[in-house]
Amino acid sequence: MKIILKTALASMLMLFSTMGTFAEPLTYALKVDGLACPFCTFGIEKQLGKINGVDKLSTDLDSGVVLMTMKNGVLLDKTKAEQAVEQAGFTLRGFDKIKTPSPKTNEK
Amino acid sequence: MKIKTLIKVTGRLTAIITLALLAGWIAFVPSAKEAGYSFVTSWGSKGDGDGQFNDPVGIALSDDEIFVSDARNSRIQVFDYDGNYRRSFGAKGDAPGHLGRPMNLAISGDKLYVPDYFNDRIEIFTLTGKYIKSIGRAGKEPGEFNAPDGIAVAKNGDLFVTDFYNKRLQQLGADGHFIRQWGTTGETGILAGQFNYPTDVALGPNGKIFVADGYNDRIQVFTSDGQFSHKWGGPFALNISGPFNGWFRTVSSIDVSNDGKVFATDFYNHRIQAFRSDGTFLFSMGGPGKGGGQFTYPLGIAVAKDGTIFIVDYGNNRIQKWQQH
Repeated sequence: MKIILKTALASMLMLFSTMGTFAEPLTYALKVDGLACPFCTFGIEKQLGKINGVDKLSTDLDSGVVLMTMKNGVLLDKTKAEQAVEQAGFTLRGFDKIKTPSPKTNEK
Repeated sequence: MKIKTLIKVTGRLTAIITLALLAGWIAFVPSAKEAGYSFVTSWGSKGDGDGQFNDPVGIALSDDEIFVSDARNSRIQVFDYDGNYRRSFGAKGDAPGHLGRPMNLAISGDKLYVPDYFNDRIEIFTLTGKYIKSIGRAGKEPGEFNAPDGIAVAKNGDLFVTDFYNKRLQQLGADGHFIRQWGTTGETGILAGQFNYPTDVALGPNGKIFVADGYNDRIQVFTSDGQFSHKWGGPFALNISGPFNGWFRTVSSIDVSNDGKVFATDFYNHRIQAFRSDGTFLFSMGGPGKGGGQFTYPLGIAVAKDGTIFIVDYGNNRIQKWQQH
């Protein structure tokens, strides 16, 4: 009986922990060279904003990093991000999943 | 002997290079021809409250008011000529009358024309902020846009629109019907009549069309019947950028005064440059910084009837007012 209870408890904990991970919105840091003027940043944000599941977009001009926060449980496909950046006339140089967005950015 | 020869050759080479540099300087770096302007005042800071900005871009003037496109706040803010806040209008979105990223503005009569970079259309409002209609849609066909960012309105109501990602200038009728275009859709070029991400357009008193050919670092001029007239910006206006008088590092907006002077914001040089309509360099204003009269990426510019200039100081999230000495 104890074993059954322990197994059930462990399974529930695993389930909740998985749900928690998926429910948490994910933020991605996209490194793009040459981002400085609004024509460029707006162009990139416009293309990235068309990807399904984007919740928030922001750009740090100094570091040339675009932060993309996705809606709960949605993952960002790197190929789609690459295509969007290319469509705006730039090349994606870095693609990282991060935990906390930098405060020094311009939000969408 | 060898050392003597070496010294001789080095000396001659140095002289030739010095002469070439001097000749280049004389030919391509003009000196100021006129006294410039003085900084008067500035207003604004970063935020979304009344009178604050989050990435301001464009500016246009009515007889007594200043209209600023507050791009990331997706709204238009209105001030008097002293910078006192009066009202704002517009809301974020893509529904008719809503704004994505409003860009370089124009006013003609009692209408405000707003190129919307995100929604790929021109939105037209009354000066009190009432939405009238939209012109254009996303695309690369005639009359369509891919990130319109600048506009000028002719006396007969024709619209001249810089179409950033389509790399062209379009002329449309007042109802939006296509008349003609300059530049090849989507193709970059540095020759006369070709564009590299144009950012703004203005009309001179004689009907000439002045285009800020943004990433070609130059200004191109066309006659009212569409013929290429002339261009300037760096040596031969062939996409050579630099910090010298008459050179640019991205022309981000343009306006023409009543007496025909051309004013352009020189984005990465953090200054404004003024020219005669034939391209003769007159003077420059500003320099990099956050103090009064300094700029961090100047973006929009508008010249009032009396010659007063209002400039969008994009990086400092403020508007600057300058007047002639």
